[in-house]
Amino acid sequence: MPVNAQAIVGTTGIGWRHPHYAQVLEQQPPLGFLEVHSENFFAAGGAALTTLAQARSQYDISLHGVGLALGSAAGIDSWHLDRLAALVQRIEPVRVSDHACFARGAWQGAQVHASDLLPLAFNQASLDVLCVNVQQVQDRLQRTILVENLSAYIDMPGNDRTETEFLNTLTQRTGCQLLVDVNNIYVNALNTQLTLNATSGIAFSKDSSNLPLALDAELAVRTCKDWLNALRPGSAGEIHLAGHCVMGDIVIDDHGARVCDGVWRVYEHALQCLGEVPALIEWDTGIPPLQILLDEVVRANALAASVHCKLTPPAKLRTTL
Amino acid sequence: MTVAAQTTVLLAAQQNQLLAQIFAPHEHAPSRGLSAYRVNATANAQRALAAVYPILAQLLGAENFSFLARDFWHQHPPQRGDLAQWGDAMAAYVKGAAQLQELSYLADVARIEWALHVCASAPDAQQNLTSFALLTEQAPEHIGLQLAPGACVLHSVYPTASICLSHQGEGCLQDAVALLHAGTAQTALVWRQGFAPRLTLLPTCEVSFVSAVCQGATLATALDHADKDFDFSAWLSASVHSGLVQGAHLISSRCSSPK
Repeated sequence: MPVNAQAIVGTTGIGWRHPHYAQVLEQQPPLGFLEVHSENFFAAGGAALTTLAQARSQYDISLHGVGLALGSAAGIDSWHLDRLAALVQRIEPVRVSDHACFARGAWQGAQVHASDLLPLAFNQASLDVLCVNVQQVQDRLQRTILVENLSAYIDMPGNDRTETEFLNTLTQRTGCQLLVDVNNIYVNALNTQLTLNATSGIAFSKDSSNLPLALDAELAVRTCKDWLNALRPGSAGEIHLAGHCVMGDIVIDDHGARVCDGVWRVYEHALQCLGEVPALIEWDTGIPPLQILLDEVVRANALAASVHCKLTPPAKLRTTL
Repeated sequence: MTVAAQTTVLLAAQQNQLLAQIFAPHEHAPSRGLSAYRVNATANAQRALAAVYPILAQLLGAENFSFLARDFWHQHPPQRGDLAQWGDAMAAYVKGAAQLQELSYLADVARIEWALHVCASAPDAQQNLTSFALLTEQAPEHIGLQLAPGACVLHSVYPTASICLSHQGEGCLQDAVALLHAGTAQTALVWRQGFAPRLTLLPTCEVSFVSAVCQGATLATALDHADKDFDFSAWLSASVHSGLVQGAHLISSRCSSPK
């Protein structure tokens, strides 16, 4: 058997967005799961919630939050957590996740939420807050959650450890898993190059790969592999794949394009070092026809099957070991 | 204060500083990265508000609405991690905006659009046709009418219902403008038919009755408030058909008694 047919149809999911609601429900393409933004289904009623319940009867659902703001020193919004808990109870998702970021705080004397994924400083104070908040969410939901690494456009001052050291300690202390976004690692690697180039005075121009000449895709892939190698084994529960936008002086994680070759290579390495972890194709900007996402799913599944067939000894050999 | 608590306070101060750099208007972005967060924030704001206030966006035009969304973001930043909850202050913001004083009906347009938005995600309910038997079995003093999710009445000193309907393709814009020039006041009714939020101009003879029902009055009280031209039977038939009325219920079983 050249590839694992079950893996091809069974592991990779898509970020399920409004333009594809009806088509997915009608055609029921072979997908490992559907992932939705939890907040889009917080309402007590309405069409969206009914649509999600219908999808739940056909697919596993992963609830991926963008608003818990797990690293906020201001803490978790109980209103938000209440609604997430109600949704989890109703949908019984296969996974629940959010991000290693902050967004809540005070501005001009009032509590605000930035509606964005703002970066954390990788230090003890941030880690302590993140662990307390993650634990609070897990206690309330009565299940472990997954926490996703960010694409960050600024470094918060006060880093005293690497991002992977930070995340490894998070998983050790709370028992949560990681949602490893390989596109985010890649975007960060490219932006680090751009920052270094800017301070070195290197001019920008574009080549046919749409990367500024100053950007080194090989170096970015190596950086990402090192990042993945530093993760605690067994700590990842899902992988995100997405496209990004190179804007000359910055790379934006806009989820608005196909997964680039560099990120596919990083994904292949992630499969080798993280094991059989389900992947997700995310597309949030300029959402294309569903078939484009399904094409990406097929590629991700084929890559996973290829890697895991190589890694897994044939059954006959396994019995003799 | 413990060392851990002090550390958290310092961390909160650091995080609040970045929030201030994102929310503060008209300040130069010190870095390309910070600029990216600001651009994303205002794009999110515009997208979220345009989804809730499509008629306001049409009335103002894309450029003006974009400016309004950015300013609203700074003046009334979100407090929740769900942007669908954000924007309820728009009517008050529009009413107070100096540049919009000549378009004073816009605040009432915003009120209607927010009501439609809330209505869309109100708790689901199903029509209970058998419950209408109460209308013949019980005295009106003991009966209430169950309205559709999110049902509400919005009074305006402007022809706001006609303005909104004309932008939803259900009326003539010229007629709405004529009503505006004539100083016509209107009352709008918002409710949900199935999953679809609906808007209609409430006929004058129905305003008092429907307003009373919306406020939870008994059928007897609502009928007492009703206009002399109000035809309950005709209204009930049409309202059951449109999904506005979901059923009838006893206001208090203790007080109920057969006619």
